[in-house]
Amino acid sequence: MANITKKVSWSSRADETGILGEGTPLLNGSEQLTHSRQPSEGRSVFQIGRLSTVDLEEEITSDEDSQRGRPNEIPHNEKLLSLKFESLDYDNIENQLFLEEERRMSHMNFRCLEISRWVVCGLIGFLTGLIACFIDIAVEELAGIKYQVVKKNIENFTEVGGLSISLLLWAVLNSAIVMVGGIIVAFFEPIAAGSGIPQIKCYLNGVKIPRVVRLKTLVVKVAGVICSVVGGLAVGKEGPMIHSGAVVAAGVSQGRSTSLKRDFKIFEYFRRDTEKRDFVSAGAAAGVSAAFGAPVGGVLFALEEGASFWNQMLTWRIFFASMISTFTLNIFLSVYNKNPGDLSNPGLINFGRFPVDGVAYNFYEIPLFIAMGAIGGLLGALFNILNYWLTIFRIRYVHRPCLQVMEAMLVAAVTATVSFTMIYFSNDCQPLGPEDKKEYPLQLFCADGEYNSMATTFFNTPERSVHSLFHNQPGTYNPLTLGLFTLTYFFLACWTYGLAVSAGVFIPSLLIGAAWGRLCGFLLAAITTPAPLWADPGKYALIGAAAQLGGIVRMTLSLTVIMVEATGNVTYGLPIMLVLMTSKIVGDYFVEGLYDIHIKLQSIPFLHWEAPATSHWLTAREVMSSPVTCLNRIEKVGTIVDTLSNTSTNHNGFPVVVQVSGSDEPEKLCGLILRSQLIVLLKHKVFVELARSRLTHRKLQLKDFRDAYPRFPPIQSIHVSQDERECMMDLTEFMNATPYTVPQETSLPRVFKLFRALGLRHLVVVDDENRVVGLVTRKDLARYHIGKHGLEELQLAQT
Amino acid sequence: MRSREIPRCHMITSRHNQEIVVCLGLTYFYSRVSGNTVDLGASDLADKARQFPAVFEPAPGGSSSSLSLLLSSFPGDLEISEYCRDLLLIFGQRYEAYVKCLVPAARPVKVCENCFSSYVNLNETYNNISDQVGPGNVSCRDSLLRSDRLMVVFVLFNNLKDLWEKSGCSHCITKGFQGLTNDTLAFMTTLNQTQTCFDTYQQGNHTELCQKCKNTYKDLNELYRTLEKDLNMCIDVEDAMNITRRIWSKTFNCSLPREETVPVIAVSSFMLFLPIIFYLSSFLHSEQKKRKLIHPKRAKSYNSLMNIQDKQN
Repeated sequence: MANITKKVSWSSRADETGILGEGTPLLNGSEQLTHSRQPSEGRSVFQIGRLSTVDLEEEITSDEDSQRGRPNEIPHNEKLLSLKFESLDYDNIENQLFLEEERRMSHMNFRCLEISRWVVCGLIGFLTGLIACFIDIAVEELAGIKYQVVKKNIENFTEVGGLSISLLLWAVLNSAIVMVGGIIVAFFEPIAAGSGIPQIKCYLNGVKIPRVVRLKTLVVKVAGVICSVVGGLAVGKEGPMIHSGAVVAAGVSQGRSTSLKRDFKIFEYFRRDTEKRDFVSAGAAAGVSAAFGAPVGGVLFALEEGASFWNQMLTWRIFFASMISTFTLNIFLSVYNKNPGDLSNPGLINFGRFPVDGVAYNFYEIPLFIAMGAIGGLLGALFNILNYWLTIFRIRYVHRPCLQVMEAMLVAAVTATVSFTMIYFSNDCQPLGPEDKKEYPLQLFCADGEYNSMATTFFNTPERSVHSLFHNQPGTYNPLTLGLFTLTYFFLACWTYGLAVSAGVFIPSLLIGAAWGRLCGFLLAAITTPAPLWADPGKYALIGAAAQLGGIVRMTLSLTVIMVEATGNVTYGLPIMLVLMTSKIVGDYFVEGLYDIHIKLQSIPFLHWEAPATSHWLTAREVMSSPVTCLNRIEKVGTIVDTLSNTSTNHNGFPVVVQVSGSDEPEKLCGLILRSQLIVLLKHKVFVELARSRLTHRKLQLKDFRDAYPRFPPIQSIHVSQDERECMMDLTEFMNATPYTVPQETSLPRVFKLFRALGLRHLVVVDDENRVVGLVTRKDLARYHIGKHGLEELQLAQT
Repeated sequence: MRSREIPRCHMITSRHNQEIVVCLGLTYFYSRVSGNTVDLGASDLADKARQFPAVFEPAPGGSSSSLSLLLSSFPGDLEISEYCRDLLLIFGQRYEAYVKCLVPAARPVKVCENCFSSYVNLNETYNNISDQVGPGNVSCRDSLLRSDRLMVVFVLFNNLKDLWEKSGCSHCITKGFQGLTNDTLAFMTTLNQTQTCFDTYQQGNHTELCQKCKNTYKDLNELYRTLEKDLNMCIDVEDAMNITRRIWSKTFNCSLPREETVPVIAVSSFMLFLPIIFYLSSFLHSEQKKRKLIHPKRAKSYNSLMNIQDKQN
């Protein structure tokens, strides 16, 4: 289907007649003549510019509307909607086949379905936990090797001289590892880049992102994230876990893999968007749960990001998947850590225990926390703005895969360089505590028995650094170290997010926040003499981490719960909540959250909770697309094939109309049929004539549609002979006989609410005689947003 | 008072019958009433231990101690046997010996090297108390270790045992507690060499010392590292190494100097320069990605954004 949407022309029948005149002034007469005579060779100058993706051999009906004075091509910006994204069919298609199947199913069948839903959720949790465990162990082992090599090298050269060689070694090692990760992402599966949370958010919102839940994406994602963390980039492995969980869910629930061409013949009932999307939300929850050891946080994440379709049983199942996931990870990691049964690793990131009775907070600290939340909001907004500009630059100029790989390698090299320089010039030496045995201490120019404390943050995997910032004794870091670390890591993380590597932004944010939070705690202890007992730097590091993360990603409910669960201390619930609230309020004043920015920059038609305010005066009539290509209930095969192959119809749903024979009455709406259904019908040659001639012909079942799901073949691959074109096709059985409709005068917020709440893909606009006037799709709604000058409209573009 | 104390007594000595518990409660109560608190702190234990035999004998007429007066009212054999009393005496003596050894060995730490034999003795006695059965099947475990809530002997021994375990002395002592292990002895020898070297060159310029003693110091470090890796370390070795390192780096200033600043800066500025080139060149040479706009089909009344703004205004 991708082929079809690429070949889009923007002509419309309405324009066909009137605009020819408008086009002429820019053309001299002769060209105009050539063009109108030989439309199939339309090679006039302006056409090539406009229609470079349209196959010129095909008949071009009209393209005269191109000259409207608007630029044809504009640089990429955030105010675009891409054509390549389609909606998911969350709404059930209630056609006759469906009703028949439901009649055939016994009570027992429904019981079995319910049980298999639970089985699938358990499997999702288990596999997600396993993947998390695999990532964790791989990162641990590989990073261990890398740091040992570099450490040995640095130790040797500290004595004999030549530390610049160690610097080069470190940089080259980093870039080599990142290169591997970059290549697999940029060349094989670009959708696996980044954390994947924006993509999953869109998927749960109902946008079909191409290739987002494929097995290949999962493989690339897992390998990519291992490479980027081992490669020493300022990234975490937690965000990608959510994407991985979602892919696992989408795969397991289908009982087959299209990539591997294996069909296990199980869970066939779940092969449709409605069921799949429920499972994907369970997978995302399981991912969060494995990443942070926060099962409740995972459920709330799924609730916060995909909550438009929700019920109590689904929540309960999702919770089950989350629990299984964190438990699996815990079990396997305990085996890996050689004390099986010691369930102390519920997540990939371990915040360590904040003892319940130990460090609590006092009332008078709450204003301090709120102030820190405001700082987090400011810094988060700065981070997002910088990343926004950087991403725009990347989309515009760094779009070739080899350039993307080079950029990632450069970032890796620079990260190593900056870290090395920081460590080299740091004068902060601290004795090593017995709890730091698992780290890679660097001595460099410190006195014997002491270690460079800058190295404990830079020369380490980011997870470990977070842990040591939270838990190391007061006095482990001096304020200069912390300040410099915050500054450099801030810019490095900002630069890194958006590269063509799979990597998350959670851990870098936590790390930045923990560093300046610890600094706050330190300053607090310094200005109040004698230092009060409550000014524990670890506590302030936690608050700072929450503030920074909240300022960047702007998640609210789920993030609070994730943080509370990750610290294992409910007492901190209120401060963390206040901090996240403040940072969101402050940050939202300047700019949106990072994920929303990236969703916008990818031109995804994302539907927010509500229609933009001040849009009540817009009616369905103005919002809808019109005119609509309709099909008759009994339609000629030739017409259908032409309609589907026609590049000018980029809609996937076609209203089915019926005309009362012999009368003059206009055609009335009687149903809605999807492109995918038509293609399956064509493939199985369900023609009226054939059915008559072959009485034994097997009746098409819902199963046939499910087997083709989710990758329906493009229309070009279906061969229809000249004779067959003359046949007729009866759509009555297959169309959705009761599509949702609205009258023309319905206001935009009303349409929006209907669309969002029911998860619709097409909404037919009819007049008072039930005639089709227009069709509202996701892109028609998503293009309105509140900008600087009130309500603005996004433009459709090809990407 | 009594009602408060008795249940706690009972809790600890659950295997005793109620009568003794009550009695002990009474003991405590009366001793408090008479103002003669039973102070069994670690410091003066040795003295007490010596007094114990006297306590359990029938009170010599008109004894001043109300404690002994009270206890004398029990039949002696019910409380503690002769054998156990002897054990307690020995325990006290050995405890005293060990503590006396420990305190002077605290700084610089020599607790393993100097005192391991006294710990072995103490441990032996304690084992006799807790595990062994004496003549006539007498076990002193219950009567000495756990018949009251204070559990003096038990607590005192545990303190020292903790100390012993924390010090890691068992890593430096041979299996049969014969003496220091070979590794430790080798380390001590090298340590002595290093110290001799330090003493020799201490006067005058420290750079000379840094050069001359570097080899032995390095050997020492190497030795220490192997010990550390095998987790074969006790506090004596650790402390000696720490002191030596501190002297080496802080007093004599022999740490490595930071002298490669220029090449490091050069290499890093080269590295930092690369991305600038990269971004500049991709800005200048890479073709800017353009998006083709598509005009969707709309009802006629509605054309463009201007329309929106018209309506709003």
